[in-house]
Amino acid sequence: MRNRFFRTEGFRLSALFAAVFALSFVILGGFVLVITNQALRDQILAFSATDIAAIRDGYAHEGVHEAREVINQLMAAPASSGFYLLQQDGKVLDGNLPAMSPRAGTLEISASDHQILGTGAFLAPGLYVFSGSNTTRLNAVQSHLLNVMMGLFAAALLLAVAGGALVSRGFLRRTDAMATACRDIMNGNLKLRIPVRGTGDELDRLAEAINAMLSRIAALMENLSQVSNDIAHDLRTPVTHLRHRLERAQADSKTLGDHRAALEAAIAKADEILGLFAALLRIAQIEGGARRAAFAALDLGALLIQMRELFEPVAEEAGHTLELTNPETLTIRGDRQLLVQLLSNLIENAIVHTPQGTRIRLSLARDHDRAVVRVSDDGPGVPQEEHERLFRRLYRREASRSQPGYGLGLALAAAVAELHGADISIVEGPGLVVEISFPLPSASL
Amino acid sequence: MKILLIEDDPETAAHIVYALDGAGHDVTVCHDGLEGLEAARAGGHAALIVDRMLPGLDGLSLVRKLRDEANTIPALFLTTMSGLDDRVEGLQAGGDDYLVKPFAFPELLARVQAITRRGNAPSSEPVRLCAGDLEIDLIRRTVQRAGKAIDLQAQEFRLLEYLMRNMGRVVTRTMLLENVWDLHFDPRTNIVETHLSRLRGKVDRGFGSELIHTVRGSGYILRAE
Repeated sequence: MRNRFFRTEGFRLSALFAAVFALSFVILGGFVLVITNQALRDQILAFSATDIAAIRDGYAHEGVHEAREVINQLMAAPASSGFYLLQQDGKVLDGNLPAMSPRAGTLEISASDHQILGTGAFLAPGLYVFSGSNTTRLNAVQSHLLNVMMGLFAAALLLAVAGGALVSRGFLRRTDAMATACRDIMNGNLKLRIPVRGTGDELDRLAEAINAMLSRIAALMENLSQVSNDIAHDLRTPVTHLRHRLERAQADSKTLGDHRAALEAAIAKADEILGLFAALLRIAQIEGGARRAAFAALDLGALLIQMRELFEPVAEEAGHTLELTNPETLTIRGDRQLLVQLLSNLIENAIVHTPQGTRIRLSLARDHDRAVVRVSDDGPGVPQEEHERLFRRLYRREASRSQPGYGLGLALAAAVAELHGADISIVEGPGLVVEISFPLPSASL
Repeated sequence: MKILLIEDDPETAAHIVYALDGAGHDVTVCHDGLEGLEAARAGGHAALIVDRMLPGLDGLSLVRKLRDEANTIPALFLTTMSGLDDRVEGLQAGGDDYLVKPFAFPELLARVQAITRRGNAPSSEPVRLCAGDLEIDLIRRTVQRAGKAIDLQAQEFRLLEYLMRNMGRVVTRTMLLENVWDLHFDPRTNIVETHLSRLRGKVDRGFGSELIHTVRGSGYILRAE
């Protein structure tokens, strides 16, 4: 746990932040120290320059005697911390410093335990004056300043580390929750989702993306397991029938004609089973979404005209009528082959499952940003409570079990519709009305 | 007719050989893509039947290579039934037709017939097709039989045109669905039968002899006696 904590991204970020903060604090502190030092020295030099000016003034008016007088007054001033020297040709005349080699300008003199900073000047050739101050006070200010800054620095660093630790703890707790959820899902709890806090931050966005992915995977897995279930359960029936048929043929066939008839029936049954396989696989493939790459612009109106031409004779043969009411030209993006199959399934359902004399109607209309295709008939319809089940794979209504088909037509239609982003539904109406509402590509696309 | 079959599954290969043999064809079998390519390059075959998935070299690449070498041997792809895009890919790679496994033998025979005749077709596109006293004009889209004009709808015309282009050869229900209506699934209603019966009503009824015949268990054939 300890080890993991230090390896978290949050900790790494706060450590980096603390280091950058410390570096900038040191640079800033250095500047402050240099600048205050300079300011204090300037102040000392300004004082000594004023003193020198006063002494020079005294000397100019009344000679050496007056200069000495001024120095003594300065030294006697209350709270004076100054050091003074007036020497003539190397001989001390007055002041509290020993004789020194005379130099004009800013000087720094080392005394036994302290430094003196000041200004030297010549009043006349050979007559040298110096005024300065002890720099100990300056150093005291500096070290005090340094202490204050160190304290601030320590406090700020502590805050940064503590804040970073808090942030990384929170981060760690959330990533731990995500990892735990992922492990649980891996262990089979497929319904579980990553917790989302609802703040919309980056971890939430990550969690939402993972959840969306999980939902998609769950849907695909469900699809897959349904297909395998369908194959396992529903193919058993026709395969068993085939076996019975062959057994009976073996036992009962007497003539060559009997054999031939039995074999033909068996071939037809095998074809039916293969057709069922193909349809199931096709639905699974469409639901996988791989076909979207084959999408192209497609005029639904023209497609409906073709569908009517294709099925009108078939409908008429079955004693129905097939009409197409003035279709508009509405272009969508889609896979023609699959849409033909979708519409064929709906039209064939209407032809096969309705009594003679039924009117089957195709229509296409625009509803805002959608193209709505309807395949309707005025037959007996399907009770409302069955509408949902109609789109399920291998669902066959009691009434239609005697009709040919596998109960996959509407499931395939639903898969094709979903691939196209279209809604397919059964709407209220006399008879059965299947409505497919396609999104129209917006003008900007 | 000498046919080269490239198919790695021995059972499928045996069935195909049986069917083609029964129809009087002479079949050479290769079980590997590279071996098949060499055999195809060597020449001497009238048609090529090639599985999509093969060891060594897959069927698509094999036909693509042959076409790159300007080899125009008619090629029929065999594919598994799940591949929705197989047909388009096969035709793009230079195949002449495709057949989804599993298939009925008459379907295979009809397709092989169709692709081999296609190879021998005259290079210039005909303007009119004739079968006995039936004549269709492909430019003006008109039909007449024994000098009498017959009025056909667009789909009926396409159906008749396809039958006439394959005159004397069996065309299967699936071939008609694919080539006349571009339908690539098995419809539950008798689309082909209905349209054919309408076409027969216009083209054959009331004339001395029938041109369109049903071949039981296989499909249809347009034949002038």
